[in-house]
Amino acid sequence: MIQVQDLAKSFDNRPVVRSLSFTAPDGAITGLLGANGAGKTTTLRMICGMLQPESGSVTIDPAGTGALLDHMGIYPRLTVRENLAYFGMLRGMPPAVLAGRVDHVLGALGLQTVADRRTAGFSQGERMKTALGRAILHAPRNLLLDEPANGLDVPTVRSLRDLLRRWRDTGACVLFSSHVLEEVRVLCDRVVIVHRGSVVAQGSPASLCRQTGSASLEDAFVKLTCTEETAVC
Amino acid sequence: MLNPVLVVARKEAVDSLRDTRSVISSLMYALMGPAVVFMVSMATRVDAVLMGMMSVFTLVAAFVGGMNVAMDTVAGERERQSLLPLLMNPVRRREIVLGKWLAVGMFSVAGLILNLAGFAAVFAGAGIRLPISAPRLLLAMAAGILPLALLAASLELLISTVCRAVKEAQTYLSMLVFLPMGLGLFQVFFPAAARGWFAFLPLLGQQLQLERWMKGGAAPFVPAAVLGCFTAATALLVLEVAANRLHRDEIVYGS
Repeated sequence: MIQVQDLAKSFDNRPVVRSLSFTAPDGAITGLLGANGAGKTTTLRMICGMLQPESGSVTIDPAGTGALLDHMGIYPRLTVRENLAYFGMLRGMPPAVLAGRVDHVLGALGLQTVADRRTAGFSQGERMKTALGRAILHAPRNLLLDEPANGLDVPTVRSLRDLLRRWRDTGACVLFSSHVLEEVRVLCDRVVIVHRGSVVAQGSPASLCRQTGSASLEDAFVKLTCTEETAVC
Repeated sequence: MLNPVLVVARKEAVDSLRDTRSVISSLMYALMGPAVVFMVSMATRVDAVLMGMMSVFTLVAAFVGGMNVAMDTVAGERERQSLLPLLMNPVRRREIVLGKWLAVGMFSVAGLILNLAGFAAVFAGAGIRLPISAPRLLLAMAAGILPLALLAASLELLISTVCRAVKEAQTYLSMLVFLPMGLGLFQVFFPAAARGWFAFLPLLGQQLQLERWMKGGAAPFVPAAVLGCFTAATALLVLEVAANRLHRDEIVYGS
């Protein structure tokens, strides 16, 4: 479970996240939904401990957390197996356990055929899968993803969705950010809508629609985030 | 279970050795000095200035040996967006920097040894015999000169943490090479400006040592070891600064 309480962060005196609070429960996929620049990435980076919040707190087990943030870089001169093993070793996994886990993750992500190929020249999907494998190698109870479906083709997006559902079904907490409403609607059990660094609503997609009297999640999102300043709405 | 420092060092070493272009470039830089001096010595007699030039080439070799690795290992990681995932591992940033430093240092030391071996071959080919026993010279070199390669590795890593991309790092690291080159040439052409305490300063001290050995002077171990200790301490200080830089928000934000 991830608990975020009154989180705040600003850059150059410009508030990016303001008093943001929500809970992402175990056994559920929670979507952090917001427009570009809403503060989703900054929030995820603070949850991971990569950025220090100015105020507020995050309750999470750091050892049991895996993350695939917007930085998905992998090592092009290493093979997929070596990329995964490097991160496993840094997590202190014993060699005997590590070899088994690497094989398991390669299988789960359908990467066996390219496991011993250097990753230079990989497609976007193969790179994302390698980076995702790195994040789930230690079987984390909390999985954080920042717009993981960006730039992926339909089959890869579908296999990603399947994997996240399987991960959720093991009782893990999955938190992912997106600005793609369809992605959130199809995948999420709970949605946290972020607007200008604050949470404006949270609940299941159906409850958000009821709450706003909307027929679709898109309508609900527009009603909750449309302000005078965003006149284009 | 391997120590995280060694895990990082081993990965960086393997990764860098697979970068053929970079390895060839480091090799050429290391052997450039001996090759130039060999060609010049074919045409003219090896004189004092030429001896001094050899020491400058050696100082430069200590800096260029690990340069490509240093720029790839931090600035390159930032550019490829693999630094943030690396920092998310439960490993202290000091350990990550130490591991990377070991790998860069390995290349710097290798470049330096290759350069010295090249000069030894040029000396042997020209029939010049140094009036110091080889084991004594090697001992003094290990204590005095090799820490310079480690200091070079630290400085290069620090600069690499400031840069967001390999190209940017390449620009600044190329400027760093002017440090041994400029200081070295100054001492070659203005030897009267040298002071006694220069012998204990990193870079200047190493050059004075090299010149003394090449001109057939003694190779006492204690001054070399003192200089080596000063140099190594400076290297560790620089590393600490580099490790602290990895805590800054801009490292997480820089693409």
